[in-house]
Amino acid sequence: MKNFSNETIDTTKLPKFEEVEFSILHTDYWKVTVLNVFLFFLILGGGLSVLLFFNRGLLVFAVGIAVAYFLFLFLVLFFSRISFKKKGFAFRTHDVLFRHGVIATNTIVIPYNRVQHVALHEGLISRYFGLAKIEVFTAGGNASDIEIPGIKKEQAENIKQLLMGKIQKQL
Amino acid sequence: MDNTLHQPQRQSSIGVLILFLDTLQKWGRALWPIAVIWIFKFDELNKVYLVLGTIVVVLTIGIVAYLQYRNFTFYLDNENEEFIISEGIFNKTKTIIQLNRIQQVNINQSLIQRLIGVYELDVDTAGSAKKEGKIQAISHPLALALKARLMDNEKKEISSLELEESSQAETLEGRPFMNISFLSLLKVGITSNYVKSLGLILAFFATAYENSRNFIEHSDFDKTKINAYLDRSLAMQSIAIIVMLMLCSILIINLVRTIFKYYDYKITKKNGSLLLSFGLLSTKSTILKPEKVQIVTVTRNYFQRKMNILELKIKQATSGEKEERKSVIEIPGCNEKENEEILKLLFKSIPQKGVMLKPNFRKLVFSIFLSIIVPLTGFFAFANYIEEQLYEYVYLVPLYIFFVGAIVYFGFRNNRLFIHDDFIIKQSGAWDVDNKIIEPGKIQAITTSQLFWHKSVDIGSITIHTAGGNISFQLGNFTLLKQYVNLWLYEMETTNSNWM
Repeated sequence: MKNFSNETIDTTKLPKFEEVEFSILHTDYWKVTVLNVFLFFLILGGGLSVLLFFNRGLLVFAVGIAVAYFLFLFLVLFFSRISFKKKGFAFRTHDVLFRHGVIATNTIVIPYNRVQHVALHEGLISRYFGLAKIEVFTAGGNASDIEIPGIKKEQAENIKQLLMGKIQKQL
Repeated sequence: MDNTLHQPQRQSSIGVLILFLDTLQKWGRALWPIAVIWIFKFDELNKVYLVLGTIVVVLTIGIVAYLQYRNFTFYLDNENEEFIISEGIFNKTKTIIQLNRIQQVNINQSLIQRLIGVYELDVDTAGSAKKEGKIQAISHPLALALKARLMDNEKKEISSLELEESSQAETLEGRPFMNISFLSLLKVGITSNYVKSLGLILAFFATAYENSRNFIEHSDFDKTKINAYLDRSLAMQSIAIIVMLMLCSILIINLVRTIFKYYDYKITKKNGSLLLSFGLLSTKSTILKPEKVQIVTVTRNYFQRKMNILELKIKQATSGEKEERKSVIEIPGCNEKENEEILKLLFKSIPQKGVMLKPNFRKLVFSIFLSIIVPLTGFFAFANYIEEQLYEYVYLVPLYIFFVGAIVYFGFRNNRLFIHDDFIIKQSGAWDVDNKIIEPGKIQAITTSQLFWHKSVDIGSITIHTAGGNISFQLGNFTLLKQYVNLWLYEMETTNSNWM
């Protein structure tokens, strides 16, 4: 009983999650994103050309379709860039933070003692650049899981090791 | 046997067949329309192409299945106490599960698996809906060995659980500590679920109308006469009668449904958990464990407040099957005192509303924009440019504005977040006012969110994730919200609270 004390917590002196320095994603991840976007638009463009080839009547709208296509491409690239710039992650002693969003800034915080399991995911293009994605799962359902892409493979392994170590200790 | 578990290993080699059949099934489901066309056009088709096509498809699936088999490995990492599954041909995924986080290991066998003589092993951790780890083809001894090893940490807990259950059986006979009276059920029946029943009735009338129309059109009635009669009879008075009839039937349907569903609702206390049983025709019973409760929702509307009744909805964290996860336990029609007693049992103290947070007025503006301005603009644009006849219904516009405006306004006025040291309560709803109660210890993760143009006015949103669902509060004082997030994080990270 002697060691027990119960002081009021001064909430203003607690560590502030909003002042954490976020690490940004690896620059190669932007290349991965661009490649993915181009791949998607290549397939889309292929489909459109086949459509135009077999349906000559639509050729009247060819200019309109081309303009819409490139506008769409530009918009997707633009928003991907913003999204890439905004993504960031941070590992504190007791929790992991992930920031993402396009027009909104969302920050999700998961304490290590709520992590259920971890997965490492390597996409085909990411693997070429030696990048991996870390997925952290909690019991709170889809909305409370985080996926941190664009981390160097070795670093990702280290992070995974860190996370597993933290989970094990339970505190 | 134990040593082999620690080396990365593949599934049983015969498992290629399972993977093959599995992939075949998936493709078959996607491609069956083409197959149907083939069958109907069988005579016209070039047989050579058909055979070649089939061979190519089967070969591709075979190769995919083989590569899947080659790339799927699993092993136990003894040092770190982890179970690791690697999979994927081009996109590779490595899932790492801490042994002490494993809730369930199931060994199953489907028909195909039985024919081949292999088993399936599912590894399940708490919360999320899907199975975290799934090995599709594994021999029985290996499956058993793996299961034993995976559940090693759980063993002590399980045995103590079993003990608990056996002692429970002895004290099963307990007096119900609460009984919902028939009168309460009547009260609930006439005061709740208006919208739900209205939908049911509308659907019923719509189909009845449609059917009778079909019937009339098919028989030799004089259509014009009937239409004229219908037009005349659809005068204002009959509309009033129909509305009255609708209201009455809503009440009756609600009453009957509530009584059938919840007749003789009993709550019995048993070794710290609650046993609920109810139902007129078939009696349902469920067990409620206070430590597993995540979110409790207390709902009441204006009438119910006057009659001193309220409804409780309780969400538990379960590690059982999917349907069980979604299930919500409902306690209809308790009065204030009974409610307090139940809450005391679930939370050990009566939840208190602490500091009150209000949403910014922008939330109201945005709701009005979304639910009044946008639909009305659409209506007038449509009426103006496409279908001028719509103007005949313009008298409905003020009615709509009044009705929806009232809902939006009261929804905004009731939207509150109460923060107490031990409880977080989110109040919402226009007519049925919900109070969602959670304990900070049950939080799994927290998301804060802010639109960039809200930075200068310092408002933002917060979503609290628990194993029983999310609670979110929009456009509140962001500085204050962040301060509370820091406090909750501090509390979660300094205590090993048992959230389930």
